Amino acid sequence: MSAELFVVGISWRTAPVAVRERLAVPDDDAVALLGDLRLAPSVREAMLISTCNRVEIYGAAPPGGAEQAVAAVRRALPESRGVKPAEVASVLYGYHRGEAVRHVFRVAAALDSLVVGEAQILGQLKASYGAAAAAGATGAVLGRCLERAFGVAKRVRSETAIAKGAANVSSVAVELAGRVFGDLRGKRVLVVGAGKMSTLAARHLRQAGVDELVVTNRSPQKAEALAAELDAVARPWAELENLLADADVVISSTGAREPVLTVPLFKKVTKRRRWKPIMVVDIAVPRDADPAIGELDGVYVFDIDDLEKVVAANLAERRKAADAVERIVAIEVGQFEQWLRAQKVVPTIRALRDHFTRVADAEIDKLVAQLARKDRELGPAERDEAVRRSMQLVVAKLLHHPQMALKAEDADGLAAAVQRLFPLEIVDERPVTAAPAIAPEEARVAGGRKA
Amino acid sequence: MDDRLLSVAPSPAFWVAVVLYGVASIGFLITFLQNRPAWFGAARVVLLLGFVAHGFDIGWRGVERVHPAASVREALGFLAWIIAGGYLLAAIRYRLDLAGAILAPIVLGVLAAARLSPPGTPPGELTLLGRIHISLATVGVAVFALASALSAIYLLEERNLKKKKFDNLSFKLQDAPLEALDRMSQRLVLAGFPVFTAAVVLGIAWVVQRHETMLRPEYPVAIITWLTYAALVAVRLGLGWRGRRTAYLSLAGFGSALLVLVIYFLRRAFEG
Repeated sequence: MSAELFVVGISWRTAPVAVRERLAVPDDDAVALLGDLRLAPSVREAMLISTCNRVEIYGAAPPGGAEQAVAAVRRALPESRGVKPAEVASVLYGYHRGEAVRHVFRVAAALDSLVVGEAQILGQLKASYGAAAAAGATGAVLGRCLERAFGVAKRVRSETAIAKGAANVSSVAVELAGRVFGDLRGKRVLVVGAGKMSTLAARHLRQAGVDELVVTNRSPQKAEALAAELDAVARPWAELENLLADADVVISSTGAREPVLTVPLFKKVTKRRRWKPIMVVDIAVPRDADPAIGELDGVYVFDIDDLEKVVAANLAERRKAADAVERIVAIEVGQFEQWLRAQKVVPTIRALRDHFTRVADAEIDKLVAQLARKDRELGPAERDEAVRRSMQLVVAKLLHHPQMALKAEDADGLAAAVQRLFPLEIVDERPVTAAPAIAPEEARVAGGRKA
Repeated sequence: MDDRLLSVAPSPAFWVAVVLYGVASIGFLITFLQNRPAWFGAARVVLLLGFVAHGFDIGWRGVERVHPAASVREALGFLAWIIAGGYLLAAIRYRLDLAGAILAPIVLGVLAAARLSPPGTPPGELTLLGRIHISLATVGVAVFALASALSAIYLLEERNLKKKKFDNLSFKLQDAPLEALDRMSQRLVLAGFPVFTAAVVLGIAWVVQRHETMLRPEYPVAIITWLTYAALVAVRLGLGWRGRRTAYLSLAGFGSALLVLVIYFLRRAFEG
């Protein structure tokens, strides 16, 4: 089962979207592509991940075949998309063996993501692997590699700050709402204006557990449309003051030139609310909320710059955590390689055990048959003798080939290996054959009988 | 009860508690200043062990027939114990690093103040009424202490949020959300107020029982304390006030309660 891993791909690091999109593989074509790739003798296992930021093939090649596999895929991937391999040769990267494992682990740990630590890639990776496995394109080695990659992703998330802190404006709005309200279930969100950004933020809040969404807009039609989209309630613009008095979180993105959330309005609103906290997320440019309302008791206003500032700070924290993640990845790559090395000798170990078992079984069968046949004739002493002789035969048969090999002319290295394999005490420098437990003639007879 | 029993030396458990409270204080401080979330759990466990040891000491004194409210010394120790217990309860649900860094040293300080305070009233003067008064006042003030610590943190966090100090430690630490702090503080005040009210009423009855003619300076301050908390309960329950205003009231009430204790100590010091 021994194998070597390889990676061929293109990502936001090496190519702009104009190039990436030409190589992107739709889900429907993925299975066919993996089937084609595996026609190459050097590609035993393969999976494909195609997202907006990367198109990559992960695969396993037979021992010594990683370079060939990379070369084959570097040709096959562009060709399958109708792109000349030469056109993208400079942006397609290839990794072999340890480097390939490291790459897969780094991708899973979201170190290679455009937004470091973004969890999205893990889900995509799981889906891609699931699809490839379902299509029968993966095997034990790639399977183990991905399984470890998911383990690495889980580990870095819990042990480092790589995924801490919201990394986009909408998530930051949710995070800030959490700072004020904690649990968002049962909270009421008011969306003022029908901008695209507010839709996104409202969706995030909805996901965070908000169950009451109210939309208001100067144009009732737009309010209705947005309300339908968000599964929210549309209310007339004239009711703004009442709506503000009832809301916990306000997301504002109107196209107004002048602030709509003014100090006089909020003075009335806060008093009606008895200064119960209200959070205003103002993502409109020009701003909808007069910054001075933030001075009022119980009002927390954040504009787009504030949100961006939090994003920048969180990303800086994530980058700081990247070193710790790289260390974890390095350790895990080492462990995976060790596992892979162990896989190389597994067939040998299995064959050796089978061989020993076969020899022993044959002798046991013979002994049992002999004892049954001569049940009456044999006394206790003769029985013992038969059993002892049978055991000696097993030993002789098992030692026959090793002895022959050791007596061959260039067997110095072999002798050392045997001394490592068995707990031997070499008494003096006499040849091993000088006083064998079993005479070589006998062993040969035993071997001959078996044949 | 005689004088000997009033000055029963603390059990070894008392000193164990002092050491553990000290260690927990340092632990919370490091958690907060160095942003080491892992230390929070450890500090909490140490505080819990200190709390258990302290409880053991109080129980042991009880067996030795020293009532927790036998004297101000005992009452202060008891107060520290309730603060520690209340904090531990609140810390089950929220990561209250800052609260721990504030409260654990306070517990330690109150315990130290207890050891330094006068050993007790002559036994004859301490009637059942007096003892109940001291017990209730202790519990009430302990609960108010917790409430005001949460209010203080509320004000601090609110300030950070208003000033948008996102790189501030308390922001990064993901302490309890504002609304939870406000709610917990409110519940504590609501729970402590009836207890404290009963204590004040019994205190007045006690004064009458002793036929005191002289108005001691701490009495009016105690009444002001009660009025402050009464006002706080009124605006919260009656008018539905929330947030900063009530937090300030809670702090004012506790400051006034502290003033009562300070005046009491000063008076005792001058009289003694």
